[in-house]
Order: sequence, then C-alpha cells, then structure tokens
Amino acid sequence: MLRGKKDFKLEIIIISFLTGLILLIFTGCSGISYIPGASFGYFIWEEDGGISVEWSAERKDVAFEGTISTDGEISSYRLKEWEEDSDVINAGKEKISFSTTLGSEDYSDGFSFTPINYTYLEFNLRINGEHELSRINLGGFLENPEDNVFRVGENYFIEVEMKPWYQKRPFREFFHKLFSNKYFTFLYLFLMGVVIIEILRVTVIARRKRKLMWIGISYTALFVIEACIYFILRFLVR
Amino acid sequence: MRARLFFKKLGNFIVTEEIFEDKKSLRSLYKYFLAGLLIRLILLPFFYQRDLLSTYQRAAETVFAGNMGADIQQMLTNIIHSAYLFIIKSIVPAINELAPILLEKDTWISWLSFNSSYNVFTALALFKIPYLIFDIVCMFLIMRLSFDGEPGNKLRVFKLWAFNPIVIFVLYIFARHDIIGILATLVALLLAKKDRKYWAIAVLSFGIALRFFPIMILPILILYLARTKKDYVLLSAIGVSGLAVMELTSHFYFGRSVIFSLLNTQHFDYILSSKLELIIHDRIFIFVVAYILIILSFIHIRKKSFDLLLNYGAIIYLAYVSLCYFHPQYMLWVVPFLVIIFVRRKSLLYYHWIQFALLMVILIYWGDLVTKFVFAPIDHKFFVYLTSIIPFIERFYNAAKFVNIFRSIFTGVSLWMIYLIYQDNKKLAGNESIGNRPEES
Repeated sequence: MLRGKKDFKLEIIIISFLTGLILLIFTGCSGISYIPGASFGYFIWEEDGGISVEWSAERKDVAFEGTISTDGEISSYRLKEWEEDSDVINAGKEKISFSTTLGSEDYSDGFSFTPINYTYLEFNLRINGEHELSRINLGGFLENPEDNVFRVGENYFIEVEMKPWYQKRPFREFFHKLFSNKYFTFLYLFLMGVVIIEILRVTVIARRKRKLMWIGISYTALFVIEACIYFILRFLVR
Repeated sequence: MRARLFFKKLGNFIVTEEIFEDKKSLRSLYKYFLAGLLIRLILLPFFYQRDLLSTYQRAAETVFAGNMGADIQQMLTNIIHSAYLFIIKSIVPAINELAPILLEKDTWISWLSFNSSYNVFTALALFKIPYLIFDIVCMFLIMRLSFDGEPGNKLRVFKLWAFNPIVIFVLYIFARHDIIGILATLVALLLAKKDRKYWAIAVLSFGIALRFFPIMILPILILYLARTKKDYVLLSAIGVSGLAVMELTSHFYFGRSVIFSLLNTQHFDYILSSKLELIIHDRIFIFVVAYILIILSFIHIRKKSFDLLLNYGAIIYLAYVSLCYFHPQYMLWVVPFLVIIFVRRKSLLYYHWIQFALLMVILIYWGDLVTKFVFAPIDHKFFVYLTSIIPFIERFYNAAKFVNIFRSIFTGVSLWMIYLIYQDNKKLAGNESIGNRPEES
C-alpha cells in the first residue's frame, strides 16, 4: 500500500516534469512564452546580448512587416524558421527591415540580432499593415508600447525582467480593482472571514474550553488580517 | 417558552424535523452549509459568462429606459431581474454608475467597459446574489423530496447539492439564471409529493413560463398525479396555462407571439439536433424517439412511486444532454434529480464527476466567450490577448474532432447513467414501501 502511494507520487512528479519540459520546448526556454501557430503577435526579448524578434499567428494568412533601426550598429543577425521564398529581410549596419507572411503551415518566423554601441532601438512593426500595439510584447507578455513607432533604451529589457510579479498582468489589474473598490473588498473579506470563523467554531473551537475567548480571538484576527490586507494592497498598487 | 417553541417550529420548517431533532445531524448540516457557502462566496465576484451581462442589460432596458418588452421570450425572468436591478440601483450607487454601460447597444463595447470598470466585482457579486438566494432555498428544499424519516440520507442529499460541481460552476462561474426555474420545479415536485396535484402543476406551469425546460417533465408529472380522466384534462390545461398567459400577454402588449418566437429560435432546434436521415425529406429526430419511449415506459409502470418519478426526471434530462446539442447551463436541470439517486447508487456520483470533467472539455465548443473570457473581470486585456484554447489544440490536432471525442464519451457516460437509473427503477418498483403516493380516498 505504502509502495503504491510512493509510486503514485513518483508518477505525479514525472508527469509534472514532462509537462514542464513540453511547455518549455514549445514556448522556448527563455524569452517570452508563446506557442507558435497558436499565439498571435510579436514577441521581442533580449538574450545573451542579442535581441530576438519573433512573430506567430493562429495558422492563418497574416502579414508581418516592419523595420528596426538603431543609433548604434548591428553587428550580426540570424534568421529563425525562415522558410518561405517570399519572406524578405534586408539588414544594414543601422537598420533591419522585413516582410513575411505566415500561413496554415508556417507557424512562426523571426530573427535575432546583436546591436552594439547603441542607446536606443527604434521599432516600427505592423500586422496586416496595421499597428496593433497590444499584439507587440516587449520583454514580457502584454508589455506593450504606447506609440506606433517606439524606442526602447539599452536597459529596457532588464527593467522589464526586474519588475516584481505583482506589477505584471493580470495581478496588477486585479489588485488595482480590489484596492480602488475598497468598501466592497473589505466587506467581502469580512463576510468570508465570518463564514470561516463559523466553520472553525463548529469544528475546532467546539472541542475546546473557553469557547468565547477563542471566538473573540478569531474576530480580532479577522480585523487584523483586514488591516494587513489594506496595507498589502496599498503597497502592491503603489 | 413561546420563543423556544417559535424557534423550534422555524428550525423544523427550515431543516426538516428529523434533522432539527438530531443534534449531530444538525451540526453536520450547518458545517456543510457553511463550507458550501464559502465556496460560493469565493467565486461570487470574479467570474461570469457574457450572458449574465446580457440578462442585466435587458433588465436595464426595462428599468432605465422603461422598455417592458426587452425580453419577451423570457418575460418572467426579465421581470425578476428588472425588479432586483431596480432595488439594487436604489441602494448601491455603483450600479447607477454602470447604467450607461448596461444600456450600451454594442455588445463588444459594453463587455469591455463592464470588465474594465473599477467596480466590476461589486456589480458581479450583486448580480449573482439572487442566484445565491435561489440556490440556498433549493439546497434546503431538495432534501425534503425523499428519504422521509432518514435524517442521514437527507443530510447526504443536502451535502451532494451543496458541493455539486455543476451547481457551483453554472451559478457562480458561468452565472446563469436557470436556478430560478429549477426552484419552481422543486416546489412543484414537493407539492406533487404531498399530493397537491393542482398546485403542483400550476407551479410547474409557472416554471415553464420562466424557463421552458420543466415542460419536459410535465407529462410524467401529470401521469403521476392524475387519477381520473377529468384530472388528465384539467392538469394538462393547467400545465400549459403558463405558456398561454405568456402568449396572450405578449400578443396584446407587444403584438408578437412568444410561442412562435421560441419555436423559431435556434434553442428549440437543439432538441431536434440529433437525427437519422432516411430518404428525401424523411428523417427521425432521435431525442423525440427517446423521449416518447421514456414517457411510454413510465405510463406502463403500475405503481408510480414518487422516487420513480424523480428517477424518470433524471432520465429525461440525461437523455436530453446525451442526444441533443446543449449549453453548459442546461446540465443544471439534471442535478436536482441526480443528487437524490446518488444516495441510493453511489457509483452514479463518480460518473457525474466524469460528466463534469468532460463538460469542461466540451466547453471549448463555444470558444473564448465561455472559456478565457469568463475570467475577464480580473484583467480583461490579459484574457483577451491570452492564447485561446482552440488555436492551441488546432496546432496539434483538429479541435472539432478533439472536442467531439470528449462529447461522445460524455454521451456514452450519460447513457450508461440512464441504464443504471433504469436498474434502480426496477429496484424501486419492487419495493412498494418507498415513497408510494398516498391513495385517494
């Protein structure tokens, strides 16, 4: 019986590991996680001093085109999954321009380049001729630019990477809504707290002496937790 | 002394006499109730499916714009939502602030604006509170349907409803209003159990006017309750009176037929969705055949006990979800019948959990609206741009085939459940002592 349980745990660990491995293979072990042929948009990240620019569509004909320029120099570039003859890339010392089309069999394309001695990179990226800023992920999922033609500084990608989890989506928006709607949030938490204390009262506290004291402690703890949540939320949305 | 008597009567009224008199059962019931309530509260403000917003948008049309015919197909449901919206808008300023969003005609803009509003959680919690109330009433009503004198089994029925995954999913994640019609159906069944035949059919008729689904059990309820030819005529007339009143009201007030409008919706076509094509124009609608077989087999049972009636209710709704195209919330209609059968046949409970797991895959049918968009109140932009499930599956395998494999397994499991219930029927028919209807004197 004990051995059976151990085997079961081992199976769970192996399955979890394999699932993680498959996800890593399909999403790339670094950079932004995306699924070629299922995710839609541009995915741009920095890795070992090089900048990777990749794009993917949901297995339908979509044109991706754009230019990347810099005030420094592009020392080298490398294509990734560049299959179609009609896909074009022109790489100069200060500028790369490209024009490709993805389709039902072409899940994703991309390239990486190494810029040197630069202070900024300027991007002008289009999908089917339009600037779809929400589909341009810069260093992280939904880290979108604000302008059609946008610049990122030398340290931009490091800054994005350094962002704590609570300042990333969806947590940022979730905490913001909870904090901006304080009266609801604290009434809601209070009601849940009351239900939890009631569950404790009829289970754990019912078996103890000095029941009233324990109920008093529970409600005090609830108020302390509410106050803590207020300060935590204030910190998270600052 | 009077106060004590009052609370005793109140306790008996709410939790039944058997449970109220047994302190251990009463404590267990309270524990289950609290745990069930906690799960519901956790989910209350964060998730919904687009239809909830549409329901309240139609109610807003009535409340803010005075349009009484905003939803003639579900007139009573709209009246209930409108009355509730009128009350909460008078009490909670956040709801008044949402009025322009609720009145917005463009479905995409209203959905985005609603999800991005800072008080979306307040609105969602308030919008779902009526469903929570109806659900709690159902929770306490359902244990009265069976197992008289068996507090342990009554308690199990209560527990099975309180923690039922379909109930929790449909009401608190999906947020659909089917529970209103289900409450009416449960009241009708309870009245039928107490042999109040006219009241039972009248309440069911009201339920039909609310949500149309109870019409499927109307024939078996009439067959169970009727004793004379006059009963058959009267009960049938009362049974369709709810729809008749709706038809007359919509005809005179709005100049439109509600019945023909319902018959011409794609929802009615769902019933006819599975068919055998014969030749030229000749085809057989499989659910209609199955339904007739179920009704005929009920007619041929000599001793129709109340538990048998409940079993047939489960069979009818299981046959519906097995053989017809259905929306996830329609699964809720089978739950009140199943939770009672689970107590007698525990194996059915495991199949029910399999049904729920399969339903989560079948959901993919309906795309983003019922999958990732359900989480949109948390951060609509994140869930709009998150990779959808269908393209993800399409990347590896044909999504329609993938879902239909699970759909077929779902049908197989549901048909097997019908078979197990049919076996239970035989057992019940052999045991005359269980829940036989009182004979007319």
